[in-house]
Amino acid sequence: MVENRPFLTVLTHAALIIGVLFLCFPVWMALVASTHSADALSSSPIPMWFGDQGWQNYSLLISRGLPEAGGVPLGRMMLNSAIMALGITFGKIAISIISAYAVVYFKFPFRMVFFWMIFITLMLPVEVRILPTFDVVTKMGLLNSYAGLIVPLIASATATLLFRQFFLTIPDELVEAARIDRAGPLRFFWDILLPLSRTNIAALFIILFIFGWNQYLWPLLVTTDEGLYTIVMGIQRMVNSGESLPVWHLIMGTAVLAMIPPVLVVIAMQKLFVKGLVESEK
Amino acid sequence: MANLSIRSLGKTYPGGVSAVRDVDIKIQDGEFIVLVGPSGCGKSTILRMIAGLETITTGDLDIDGRRVNDLEPGDRDIAMVFQNYALYPHMTVRANMEYGLKNEGLPKDEIAERIAEASRTLRLSDYLDRKPRQLSGGQRQRVAMGRAIVRKPKVFLFDEPLSNLDAKLRTQLRAELKALHARLNGTFIYVTHDQVEAMSLADRIVIMSEGKIEQIGTPMDLYLRPATRFVAEFIGTPAMNFIDATVGSDGHSLQIGEQMIAADAPIHAPAGTLVSVGVRPEHLHRGQDHAMHVKLKTGFVEQLGADTIVHGEASTNGTASPLGVRLQGVHMPEPGSELQLGAALSDLHFFDTASGQRLNT
Ligand SMILES: Nc1ncnc2c1ncn2[C@@H]1O[C@H](COP(=O)(O)OP(=O)(O)OP(=O)(O)O)[C@@H](O)[C@H]1O
Ligand SMILES: [Mg+2]
Repeated sequence: MVENRPFLTVLTHAALIIGVLFLCFPVWMALVASTHSADALSSSPIPMWFGDQGWQNYSLLISRGLPEAGGVPLGRMMLNSAIMALGITFGKIAISIISAYAVVYFKFPFRMVFFWMIFITLMLPVEVRILPTFDVVTKMGLLNSYAGLIVPLIASATATLLFRQFFLTIPDELVEAARIDRAGPLRFFWDILLPLSRTNIAALFIILFIFGWNQYLWPLLVTTDEGLYTIVMGIQRMVNSGESLPVWHLIMGTAVLAMIPPVLVVIAMQKLFVKGLVESEK
Repeated sequence: MANLSIRSLGKTYPGGVSAVRDVDIKIQDGEFIVLVGPSGCGKSTILRMIAGLETITTGDLDIDGRRVNDLEPGDRDIAMVFQNYALYPHMTVRANMEYGLKNEGLPKDEIAERIAEASRTLRLSDYLDRKPRQLSGGQRQRVAMGRAIVRKPKVFLFDEPLSNLDAKLRTQLRAELKALHARLNGTFIYVTHDQVEAMSLADRIVIMSEGKIEQIGTPMDLYLRPATRFVAEFIGTPAMNFIDATVGSDGHSLQIGEQMIAADAPIHAPAGTLVSVGVRPEHLHRGQDHAMHVKLKTGFVEQLGADTIVHGEASTNGTASPLGVRLQGVHMPEPGSELQLGAALSDLHFFDTASGQRLNT
């Protein structure tokens, strides 16, 4: 499908540009709204260009938390979100790469049974098993703790499956060469499998970090302590802050700030990711 | 270095595929052994059992008098070169060669010395810091050989290492491999399905068919005195011709069509036994004055310059069987014309048609 007709070029570009505009519009609105005062946002028409309140809004947000969000400082919420997202990401990657390693490279009784058990949990996301999971977490005394936020979200059938499929593409001869080179199971994992999985890990890191960062329902359930609130919860609380009108300019500012860490992760990992793709081994 | 003793080795894969049966080979220190045979005959299976990558179902394998059946590949003191190179893609050439030595725990300067030496031998010194994907196929295969050499193993194993390369490179690397063998004086076991490769490399060839050894011998043994019809057909291009015959009533002669040939030695088969008389295309000559003659009805002609290969049908003996002849120099026979050909008695091979066993001594 490599055609070279000017009309088609114009058409495809137009379609792409419209798509991009459509996707970017909400982000644009958030950026714009965060630079206006509350008054400007509550009267129509809503401003479409930057206002002059940006500096005040952001310094207010960063310096002293919002009474509307229960007075939890923004930094604290960001930190909680970061801890949770990183915990989930590292946990998921570690657990899934190890279980995929076991399933692919070791022959043990009921191997396929285990594999299918993992596979079946794919059909049971957190939301479906939320009550029993909550029950377990309560009984383990993990409410209001980072462990309670992170551990139940770590098991990941998707990532296990992805690593399994990747391991299956690694030629047997490579494994055999390593055996002849006296690499035991741990050495093989560390020296060969892990470096070869770099690209996959980077891609997963992006996806899982965003997944963890955006968690809403689960943190809402297991935390009652304000010191453990995450940024996504914070935004939600600002919107539903009871009697007073929502402070849209500050909410949008928070949303913009909350976007920064995922964007940073994407940028950082993308380099590795693209490098891996370009360098893809034959 | 090392000698190997393989005694009634057998392999049955899970699922019941009996890939190798009753294989006995004694390999001397420093020998270059080539396992050859058609696809699926079990060559790789034998090699992989020697390497320890497949378990041995029956029989014994000794390296230097020590039974190694149950040792891990890393503990058998072998090195292996694979068809698809199997280099570690994320490591540099140097790291690829170092890896096994590091795992063995050799001191740093010893490792560096061995790598310097191997990369000199294999002309890899300029590529040590490259990744495998930045190398050509031939260079990659040399790295794989380097990885084997630096380990100074007792036995080198090769599984069709040249099959992924183009014809010219294959010839070049074949010569390098032979030189390497002379230089290292190691025990080499080499698998290929290419009989030319086998002939040019081997001290002794082990020729296999359907999991069993057909014959073990030097290339010239196999060429001059193939033990079975299978070996006779497999070794040599174009393949040997076969003409049907029966053992004459005196047990000393063969009846080919109307022609009687008196053999120079007794034929170990009763009168009336069906015999396939084999004669190589290069042993057929034009003219009348030969012990055996045959007429060739010309079909397809290959002009190769140095030789002319004429394919056609042997038409005089009542039975029409395909026949090929390699004539020296340039010939231009008319398609459909008849060539009068013959062969010397000493160039004829007699095989029992039923069992395929050689009948003349
Ligand atoms: N892992 C396996 N499981 C079951 N059967 C196998 C396995 N590996 C090989 N075989 C069978 O064993 C027989 C011998 O295989 P092997 O790989 O040794 O052949 P080969 O002589 O090396 O052939 P090629 O020249 O094609 O490489 C074949 O019939 C093959 O199908
Ligand atoms: Mg093979």
